[in-house]
Amino acid sequence: MKYLNKSVLEIHELLKEKKIKPIDLVEEAFENIENNKELNAYITLNKEEAIKQAKELEDKEVDNILFGMPIAIKDNIITKDLLTTCASHMLENFIPLYDATVVEKIKSKNMIIIGKTNMDEFAMGSTSRTSYFGAPLNPWNKTKISGGSSGGSAVTISARDLPFALGSDTGGSIRQPASYCGIVGMKPTYGRVSRFGLVAFASSMDQIGPMTKNVYENALLLNAIVGKDERDLTSAEKETEDFTRLIGKDVKDMKIAVPNYFMSDIVNEEVKSAIKNTIEVLKNAGAIVDYVDMKYLDQAVTLYQVIALGEASSNLARFDGIRYGFSKENPESIKDVYFKTRQEGFGTEVKRRIMVGAHILSGENAKIYYDKAMAVRAAMRQEFKRIYKDYDLIIGPTATTTAYNQTDSLDDPLKSFLDDVLVNPANMSGLPGLNVPVGFDNDHMPIGMHIIGNDFEEAKIYQLASFIEKELNLDLTPGGEK
Amino acid sequence: MSKYIPTIGVEVHVELKTNTKIFSNSINGYGEMANSLTNVIDLGYPGTLPTLNKEVLNLAIKAATVLNCKIRREMHFDRKNYFYPDNPKNYQITQSRTPIGYDGYVEVEVNGVKKKIEIEEMHIEEDTCKSTHRGTKTLLDFNRAGVPLIEIVTKPCMNSGEEAKAYLEKLRELLFYTDVSDCKIEEGSMRADANVSIRKNESDPFGTKAEIKNIGSITNVAISINKEIERQTKIYDSGETFKPQTRRYDDKLGDTVLMRVKETGNDYRYFPEPDIPFVYVTDEMIENVVKTIPMLPDERRKVYVEKGVSEVNANKLVQNRALSDYFNELLNENTNLKIASNLLLGDISGYLNKNEKTITETTLTKERFLELINRMEDNTLTSKNLKDILDKILEETVSIEEIIKTSGIENITDDSAIRDVVKSVIAENPGSVEDYKAGHDRAIKYLMGQVMKASKGSANPKIAMDILVEELQ
Repeated sequence: MKYLNKSVLEIHELLKEKKIKPIDLVEEAFENIENNKELNAYITLNKEEAIKQAKELEDKEVDNILFGMPIAIKDNIITKDLLTTCASHMLENFIPLYDATVVEKIKSKNMIIIGKTNMDEFAMGSTSRTSYFGAPLNPWNKTKISGGSSGGSAVTISARDLPFALGSDTGGSIRQPASYCGIVGMKPTYGRVSRFGLVAFASSMDQIGPMTKNVYENALLLNAIVGKDERDLTSAEKETEDFTRLIGKDVKDMKIAVPNYFMSDIVNEEVKSAIKNTIEVLKNAGAIVDYVDMKYLDQAVTLYQVIALGEASSNLARFDGIRYGFSKENPESIKDVYFKTRQEGFGTEVKRRIMVGAHILSGENAKIYYDKAMAVRAAMRQEFKRIYKDYDLIIGPTATTTAYNQTDSLDDPLKSFLDDVLVNPANMSGLPGLNVPVGFDNDHMPIGMHIIGNDFEEAKIYQLASFIEKELNLDLTPGGEK
Repeated sequence: MSKYIPTIGVEVHVELKTNTKIFSNSINGYGEMANSLTNVIDLGYPGTLPTLNKEVLNLAIKAATVLNCKIRREMHFDRKNYFYPDNPKNYQITQSRTPIGYDGYVEVEVNGVKKKIEIEEMHIEEDTCKSTHRGTKTLLDFNRAGVPLIEIVTKPCMNSGEEAKAYLEKLRELLFYTDVSDCKIEEGSMRADANVSIRKNESDPFGTKAEIKNIGSITNVAISINKEIERQTKIYDSGETFKPQTRRYDDKLGDTVLMRVKETGNDYRYFPEPDIPFVYVTDEMIENVVKTIPMLPDERRKVYVEKGVSEVNANKLVQNRALSDYFNELLNENTNLKIASNLLLGDISGYLNKNEKTITETTLTKERFLELINRMEDNTLTSKNLKDILDKILEETVSIEEIIKTSGIENITDDSAIRDVVKSVIAENPGSVEDYKAGHDRAIKYLMGQVMKASKGSANPKIAMDILVEELQ
């Protein structure tokens, strides 16, 4: 009997009525993952502990909708006593001493951690191909990339292994793979979710978010992980709210802006046409959709490279072979410890980004590049704020194309940045953004729409996304036969 | 000695006296078992983030206030990036662009000349861990990692080792009195580096700089600076030059030794710390901190002298903060502060040192001390008798009067008893009596001494003198 392809609401009812037990869900999840092994979505499975936990839950009251639900965690989120590798040789054997705040939160809901998902090494990439453990494969077509960096989380949700996954998004790393794999992925407002326990890539942009097969379940998981955290000074103090509360409301008179840049010739025609079709659906439902000009959007990738890589070069300095992680044996000097550990411990893309970042912050460059980028970043945020004076939401495509071949652009380090050109601005500006599937290209690869909200207006994003989801009513199960 | 003008700037690191570390809730302690005061944040574990200990801000504001600094109202932290085993994250969180304090000064006096030592800036940062080298190995103790520091940087405005010494003494006194730091150089809670250069004329650009690192005591600061001035003078006199360098003071050698020649411009790749939002200092925060600042050392010295205490005693009192604080309680009492200071710095200090106690650990309450001062002042207790009953005064709680009574050393104030003693002294010293009558004043002092001796010091001296004069008529 299969349960995990049902909606979370249905599963919850079954659990509540004691028709099924958490162990049934856990076993099914592991079975699915085993069947989809070649997708390479996971780095580590938490089988023993998950089964133990599921059994312990049998005596407990099913007290919340996420109770007993299997969840997968991106492998750059720290899990106590459970290998956390960041898909890097550097942390291949790293077993953490503590839980990330989000992990504590999902544990407090009695969700069950099934495993740690594959990703780009230290989240640096947009294809998940920089993983030390090899790239995950796109369930819609195994010769295609999953996108990244949260590729494993997107793949396991898309393949319907289990209902919930956490990803992290620094420059599009939740939304872009969600688009390529045809799932729903939310990057919340910066500060909405605690970063304590998220291995830092670019601290001023990193944000953890939910990845699910539909909008409602996405909002449910967001409900569980948000909140001010005393351990993260950048987390925001906000009153608790139910992110599902606007789901089901219509979009009549909703004011939506489409920046012209998002529909310019940088975007593939098939993608554009799926977005245009969706815009027609919205207009027909009474939403007001305007095309607008926005400054700075075309600067996002440059800004991102300067700021994210500058921060990353500093954040990754701690991996030095002294206190934890990989350490080159028999060093001859302290320099030897540093050089050899980092030379062998990091992959090529990570090293490239550290070097670029260090260069950007070096000497006078800090003023020429970093300070300037911070100024443009502030201006870009103001530009978004200007639009939100007149509009509820901003939409466009999530990615310029659909998922491309595993073998494409392997030697083009710029390509992975350009993949994120449409999603970067939300990270730059700290705004919430979500991918919702809106169609397929001629090869039946998913196309996603990106919805960007004003600060802390995730609920409004979910309202629009769920409306689109309902109206389009796409079959989003890869292969379609399940 | 010199045809050169020395220029000296001093950088001081001071560990703040907080309960916990600056960016984590680990205990801020010294002398504990290695690595026992650490957590994942201090160790720079992946995924950890700093929090900010509010007490650090308060102490930094306090330090800035007493160092006459302007206080920045909007500031952030910066990352200073460099690889070193004692630096757990391989970046140090510090303040580079927006130091909390700037444009301050402290006033010092060297050889009777007053001088303002200008403070360029004062910023908050975290301490590194402690490394111990054992053969080819280096041991790391992270207890110190994340201990809050302030770094205080002067302008290059001093001209001698003595000025630098006076500055450091003043700094230590101020920060110690305000509980900003315990300022123990030997435990590393205060560490000084000095930048020294010399030049021929005021109008010349500054000479090549040598930095002397981690000098172990304030006295050695003066010695090492003067040694360094000597060294540079010799080099220039012989027509040679030297490269900017870092040196350390070797106590055994009594001289500075080269550590390393400075590479061209260290590149610390500073950028604003993204994990800590801007910090805003409000008027209210400053007011609340200023309220906790006690009377400062210079003010204390001034007030003491105004109230009749000798300059020597005033200085000594201020050198011992516990005694000075205790003494301050008396300032508004109608009592003899001169006697009070003599008592505290004399017999009482002797007792405290011998018994390794502080004044507040004795039973000498303010009320009992006032009673003691009165007894001394009206001569109903003599210095000699005080010595006999001092232990009781400082260890028991009954009144001084009671102690005097029960100790059997009560001052003989009974006229007839004293008169008997006086009479017998007069009878035994006819020669002195003759001298007195012949107008030799010294004779009466001798006779008085004999009276005190015969009464074993217990006669009230004032009454005894009156009776002696009377009997000699």
